Amino acid sequence: MTPFRLSLLSAAIVCSIAPSFADQTSPVYGIRDKTPNLLAFTNATVHTEPGKTLENATVLVVDGKISAVGSSAVPAGYRKIDATGHHLYAGFIDAYSNYGVEKAADEKAFEFGGKPVYQNSRKGGNASNGAIHAEQQWVNSFVPSAEDAKTYQQQGFTAVQSARLDGIFRGQSFVASLANGMPGELILKANGPQFMAFGKGSSKQSYPSSLMGSIALIRQTLSDANWYRAAYGKQDQLQSRQPVEFNAALSALTNLEQSGLVFETSDDRALLRVDSLLKEFNVKNAALLGSGYEYSRVADIKNTGRTVIVPVAYPAAPAVANIDDQLDVSLADLRHWERAPTNLAVMAKAGVPFALTTHALEKKDQFWPNLRLAMKHGLTAEQALAGLTTVPAKLVGLPEQLGKIAVGYQADLVIAKGDLFAEGEIVATWTRGQEQQFKPLQPVEFAGTYAVDLAGKALTLELSGTGDKLSGKLKQADKHSELKNVSQKQQQLQFTVDLAAANAGTGVLQFQGVLDGNLLSGQWLLPSGQTQKVMLSKQAATAKALDKKADVVDTKLVSMLTFPNRAFGTQLAQGRQNAHIKNATVWTSDKAGKLENTDVIVKDGKFSKIGQNLSTPSGYQVIDATGMHLTAGIIDEHSHIAIEAGVNEGTDAVTSEVQIGDVLNPEDINIYRGLAGGTTTAQLLHGSANPIGGQAQVIQLRWGVTPEQLKFKDAPPSIKFALGENVKQANWGEDFTSRYPQSRIGVETTIRDAFQAAKEYKAAFAAYDDLSRGNKDKVAPPRRDFRLQALVEILDKQRYVHTHSYVASEILMLIHLADEVGFKIHTFTHILEGYKVADEMAKHGASASSFADWWAYKMEVQDAIPTNTCLMADRGVMVSINSDSPDLQRRLNQEAAKSVKYCGMSEIDALNMVTINPAKQLNIQDKVGSVTEGKQADFVLWTHHPLSVYAQAKQTWIDGIRYYDQERDAQVAAQVVAEKQLLMQKVLGAADSAKKGSGGAVKKDDPIWHCEDNGDWLHAKFSQDQVQHQHSAH
Amino acid sequence: MKFQKSIFALLLAAVALPTLANDIVPGAKQSAPILLKGGTLHTASQGVLENSDLLMVDGKIAAIGSNLTAPADAKVIDVTGKHLYPGLIALANQLGLIEIEAVRATDDTNEVTDTNPDLRARIAYNADSEVIPTVRANGFSYSLVYPKGSALMGQSSLMQLDAWNWQDATVADGVGLHINWPSASVAGNWWNKKKAEDLAKENAKRLQQVKDYFVQAKAYVDAEAAGLNKGVDSRWQAMIPVFKGERPLFVHADDIRQIKQAMLLAKEYQLKLVIVGGRDSWRMADELAAAKVAVIFTAPYGIPERDDEANNTAFKTPALLQKAGVQFALSLDGYWDTRNVVFGAGQAISYGLTPEQALASVTINAATIAGVESQIGSLDVGKAASVVVSDGDIFDYLTHKIRYMWIDGRAVDLNNRNQQLHDKYKQRPAG
Repeated sequence: MTPFRLSLLSAAIVCSIAPSFADQTSPVYGIRDKTPNLLAFTNATVHTEPGKTLENATVLVVDGKISAVGSSAVPAGYRKIDATGHHLYAGFIDAYSNYGVEKAADEKAFEFGGKPVYQNSRKGGNASNGAIHAEQQWVNSFVPSAEDAKTYQQQGFTAVQSARLDGIFRGQSFVASLANGMPGELILKANGPQFMAFGKGSSKQSYPSSLMGSIALIRQTLSDANWYRAAYGKQDQLQSRQPVEFNAALSALTNLEQSGLVFETSDDRALLRVDSLLKEFNVKNAALLGSGYEYSRVADIKNTGRTVIVPVAYPAAPAVANIDDQLDVSLADLRHWERAPTNLAVMAKAGVPFALTTHALEKKDQFWPNLRLAMKHGLTAEQALAGLTTVPAKLVGLPEQLGKIAVGYQADLVIAKGDLFAEGEIVATWTRGQEQQFKPLQPVEFAGTYAVDLAGKALTLELSGTGDKLSGKLKQADKHSELKNVSQKQQQLQFTVDLAAANAGTGVLQFQGVLDGNLLSGQWLLPSGQTQKVMLSKQAATAKALDKKADVVDTKLVSMLTFPNRAFGTQLAQGRQNAHIKNATVWTSDKAGKLENTDVIVKDGKFSKIGQNLSTPSGYQVIDATGMHLTAGIIDEHSHIAIEAGVNEGTDAVTSEVQIGDVLNPEDINIYRGLAGGTTTAQLLHGSANPIGGQAQVIQLRWGVTPEQLKFKDAPPSIKFALGENVKQANWGEDFTSRYPQSRIGVETTIRDAFQAAKEYKAAFAAYDDLSRGNKDKVAPPRRDFRLQALVEILDKQRYVHTHSYVASEILMLIHLADEVGFKIHTFTHILEGYKVADEMAKHGASASSFADWWAYKMEVQDAIPTNTCLMADRGVMVSINSDSPDLQRRLNQEAAKSVKYCGMSEIDALNMVTINPAKQLNIQDKVGSVTEGKQADFVLWTHHPLSVYAQAKQTWIDGIRYYDQERDAQVAAQVVAEKQLLMQKVLGAADSAKKGSGGAVKKDDPIWHCEDNGDWLHAKFSQDQVQHQHSAH
Repeated sequence: MKFQKSIFALLLAAVALPTLANDIVPGAKQSAPILLKGGTLHTASQGVLENSDLLMVDGKIAAIGSNLTAPADAKVIDVTGKHLYPGLIALANQLGLIEIEAVRATDDTNEVTDTNPDLRARIAYNADSEVIPTVRANGFSYSLVYPKGSALMGQSSLMQLDAWNWQDATVADGVGLHINWPSASVAGNWWNKKKAEDLAKENAKRLQQVKDYFVQAKAYVDAEAAGLNKGVDSRWQAMIPVFKGERPLFVHADDIRQIKQAMLLAKEYQLKLVIVGGRDSWRMADELAAAKVAVIFTAPYGIPERDDEANNTAFKTPALLQKAGVQFALSLDGYWDTRNVVFGAGQAISYGLTPEQALASVTINAATIAGVESQIGSLDVGKAASVVVSDGDIFDYLTHKIRYMWIDGRAVDLNNRNQQLHDKYKQRPAG
């Protein structure tokens, strides 16, 4: 062994015997190491692969590889390891690790109110964004750590796939053996998949500050990589007029499909979101790191076809010991606590391929207790073993080397006393023929009783337990004295005992001896200082000291599984009903106006007939609506519900590349609350932090569906612009005074320049298209820019502009600018001074969506008036009322009624402000917005006149589906209380081990988003702070 | 659009002192009796009196009944078919203390330190605030304003909303001592990453701090009574009326744990307690009623603050308090949105209050909590002639049309900045 290696390993050799590998390139210092590596494991139960077991078998190993498996005799010259009573498994593989790679410096990203950082510092060919480290090949930083390796090996892991877990594009991973040795020797695969995540880690750059920003950055980067493949080495003749830059990050991503990727997710929503994002780029070679929430959407996750690397970390039980503190505990958290241990069994049953990882565990030694708990819930040994061996072996691209005990495979073995998937215990792992022993295979058993004659007194020495747990007592009749300072090293034993307690004299007696067979020979050191030789004979093993009683696991589930899986979630997908609604006052919001004593027939999700005294088609549900009012479903032009992890990408003045549609959260309870107020459709807008914000998404408030089903099918694309105080950062504090623009004057130039860039961008593509085939090859193709692409769509009248605006000057500015540049403002939203320039708005063809009566809360709303709606309408502007808040979204009917009160608007016109008018503003008026035959059956049944303060929504229907029913709501509310009580009882009755948790996080609701909510929500969601928090939670 | 263009003209013609000036002149002292004839009187004390008359003399209600005879010099106004209510009272807000929330220079609600029992809200009350007339226009005649802050925030003042300055606006000063009770929740969230046990520790520390203030204050009060103080501590001096039970403690608290803590403190020092906020008050309504703790419920439209609460939890709370016999008022803890309190009370009717109970929650109950029930809060002979006249049901958007308001018999101009801008831009030539 070379001196170098000695120093490297000296710290690591505790119970291991490390054969050397041929170090192929270093010169040998001193005498060569030629120790053989010929091993024979005999008499073992060998699990060669999941589902295949050989009893009493032999495994031969030559030079770190398995050379034979079966019943063959052990050839001469092999070191024999008697594995009687032991099970052998192929070494486990952890496909998600940061082993051997230094962690990122724990740098904080920008904080709320902290100074923004707009640029990444550039080095070499790094990316323009600080969260992109795609060019990193972590194999080049790999330094093995025997100490860290041991924490894996103790759980049976012998190989890992590893990278630094920092940033969005985290760089290329590698696969390494956990053996000791020179790094180069341990690399099993140098070019593993790119690791990815949504969080930006240690990047100090402000962008992206939202989840949608992170997704947009990923989208742009993947697109750029495709472009770079075609463009690098050429002249970018059409855009920058320079040679295409060298960009190492993009270069590294050009072969992504070959290298593959592993994407870290934080919950089931994130997992499904990643899948769709990757599908956009046709990335097939990708695995996903799961969260433990897969059970709640297992069918959808199965449909992704992806392999999931699943942590076995479980959350701590919510604290319910204090009665009042139970108020802070949510049903969702209680349910997840109960169901997290079922996750693997549910996935296995559904047929989702998965590998297991120790990632996310607070401590790696929680792995086996947790996995066994999963098995109690139905995971089989075969499934678990596959998740530890064959599945990850395939995932890391080494199915011919790792994951099985078979000839030619790497000699990575786990040796367990007993069946590891039952009560067994790992006593050693062998990694490429290197032994890592944790416990002796054939331990010395001291336990038993020994007759002791001490100065004529007949005493009994009782020993029980093994190893560190060895204990005993010295007894005489009914007296006894506990042994102290018990120390066992292999066959050697020492202890001290106080004689007085055993009524055997005074002072402390000391013993040291050696056990050979049943004879314990040694000497007493008497209190007097004299020694006395002694030979004790083990009589009989005392009854094996009872292991601490195993905690009883109650596998009977008391929680419901709903969609979404939280209070008020629905148990089944809700279906359409054909219905005959009788004798209502129908507010049609179309030319028919208000119809008394009218029937409405709903068929296949549409209003099929509206009239008086209609007959009920057979099989139709009849709803007697006598005394009730029926209106179209309420439509909200401006909402921020159901958006995940940030409503603003306010880190740049123009962020038209970000898409609200990427971050829909169908689990937001505000969807259900909106339904309870009669709202059926909402446009989810980006916030107002920048002049040109992100792309909007129109949704239907369907409760219990997927993000995709939440989207209003075929609603034309739209986008948020903003003007005024928010975009000039007037109320953001002293640190936010450097980004252009800082004034309303600069807002105009910002928008003009952005559109000019979009025009030039469009022209570049047109020019490229016009080139001959031969000339196309000579120049770089133009680079797809999703930011400008969205502006081109506006210019092409493919995308509608909704602009946050308050004061008359800025409204006029934007109208003039739009006319000059050649686009239309579709809707001015908020528009509280719209009444001052209503004629100009009408002339431009813009509509308006206003607050009913908000004012005085900031400078630019000082001239807001509650008669704004009437004054604008009076001048020919089409007006709606929006909520901009989940609170107001529950009573937009009341907000509309305020125009009746303040300016005498007709009741029909007032109701239209929350039905057909916003439908027109969202360009969905052909489908919804009125109770008209042939339109989608979105409607509300009200207890009173719909504009009355006394009106409550009895039922809210979308597409012929009753998503809200007041009576059902009351029943569910009672069920929530009852189910919560059952679960809290279960927590209170559970063993401490079941309450403690091991690092699994629970989902937390987003805050209620406001237009002006700005800050690094991406960092807040994914920062290390949170990880630390989870890790210390219990 | 069928838009009732004439309504504003009618409105302006109807008020006693119409003005088109940029500012609005407070009503002059009542100089002659006013007889309102033939209205529906929602008295807030003796039910609804149909087709009744109400006589105002020298700023007081002089008579109520049918077919009252007008004194010789009386101005008679026919209010047939219209509805009369006591001037509405909004409790616990910042009306007049903030003009524009985002502009620091216009915000006089907050002081540094958390021991400010000597602060008096009325000092900063801007009687010329543009916001106040918009609130009046929806029927509000009185507002209890208080200083914001942490822990001991200061004293509230009850203001009438038609005045030249805070002196003549003040109806009652030092109405109560307001405390912002320390948080008791241990719920974390994904952007506040503190652990539950750390939150519990912080909560306990802040609670102990508040308790310590009371220990110090009590020490001062006792020493003062014994003549042993060596100087004046302005903070604790201001708490003497609280310890004497002359001035209630208004504890701003929503969580049941906070309310329980406050009740224990009130019991220890024998203090009169009012809970402001009261989101969880329905969970302990019987206890509040038994201990005679009043509640100013400030979330009539509240959105659930906890994941598992039903959407209508806050909507139903007033009726639950009523049922348990808790004395309560409805309000909104803001400033410009005070004008919507009346509709919040209206919504509470649809969730179980009777119209009389809803009216009491913004009139006589509010007056009682503010300690001025003998002067205002109901239509009773001898009380202030503070009367609001609406075309119809004051609680519903469809019928709420305030035609007249008198405060102490002074006719109040219902014009306001919103209205003035409306009138101005009505005149913009078509372009």
